[in-house]
Amino acid sequence: MRGFMVFCRKELTESYRSYRLVILLVVMALMGIMSPFTAMILPDILSGSDLGGGLILELPEPTSFDSWTQFFSNVSQMGMLAMILVFAGLMASELSKGTLIPVLTKGIPRGTVILAKFTVATILWSLGYAVSWIICWGYTIYYWGAQDFTHPWITFCAPWLVGELFLALMILGGTLVSNWGGSLGVVAVVVITGNLVNLLPEVRPYNPITLAAGTLGLLDGSHSVEDFTPAIAICVGAIVLCLILSIVVFKRKQL
Amino acid sequence: MLDSWEAARTYLPILIPAAIIQLGLMVASLIHLATHPRVKLMPRWVWLIIIIVINTIGPILYFIVGRTDEEDQ
Repeated sequence: MRGFMVFCRKELTESYRSYRLVILLVVMALMGIMSPFTAMILPDILSGSDLGGGLILELPEPTSFDSWTQFFSNVSQMGMLAMILVFAGLMASELSKGTLIPVLTKGIPRGTVILAKFTVATILWSLGYAVSWIICWGYTIYYWGAQDFTHPWITFCAPWLVGELFLALMILGGTLVSNWGGSLGVVAVVVITGNLVNLLPEVRPYNPITLAAGTLGLLDGSHSVEDFTPAIAICVGAIVLCLILSIVVFKRKQL
Repeated sequence: MLDSWEAARTYLPILIPAAIIQLGLMVASLIHLATHPRVKLMPRWVWLIIIIVINTIGPILYFIVGRTDEEDQ
């Protein structure tokens, strides 16, 4: 346990010194700011544009729902991309530089290293996600007034959970291949297959990738919580599996 | 005239923080670039252009892939 705390502290200091923390917070804060803004100006930009043949596009007044739509699409695209770039070197850079060897010879178990890295990455990602959400929520209340959410936790934690899955996948990829490409490759393969598989409607309820933007349906009432429980369960299972696999692989790995 | 004043009042609470963050990022990365003679991937002058021309993403890219920790001698 002591080794875990020490390693966590080392990771936190490192993410602060390598600007990871600041970059993630800044990007996520910008996502939070831009989401309500895009929702507001989108009708102004698009309305009045001539679609040809005298057809004029008329868009309704934006609502708080549009603001959250933008939030989900921003976070699940730009936000995740920033998070992936920031954390891609999490395992890989230390494995390729060999900086973990002194730590391991001091007696910190290999499993602890993986879990500590995942814990610190989780803390940073949660912090970034919370900052983004709070800013977007504040602006949405400021412009459209307070609103009630029926299932706030499931709706807004689903994209965060997908982020966690990407973190676990990057740790696994980094442990397997020991370079940035491994981490990015594993995530890319999962995202591409996830989106391809989504073409089949019967797979969609079980696909964790749909969680990134799909829980928006809970806000307008077109979906119920039960629609997402299988995907959430599979997502959590996949995270645990990735971590266990990473620990197993890392224990056998020659440094 | 009234119209633009209205628009400004509506959008300024969003635009001012966004502008502060973007400018802050640019200034921070320019200071970092100025005090660190060695950069990765591309020559320094290319990074300078990227930071100034590509809004927000340029400075972030610099911090993620271009930055080195070697201080000015």
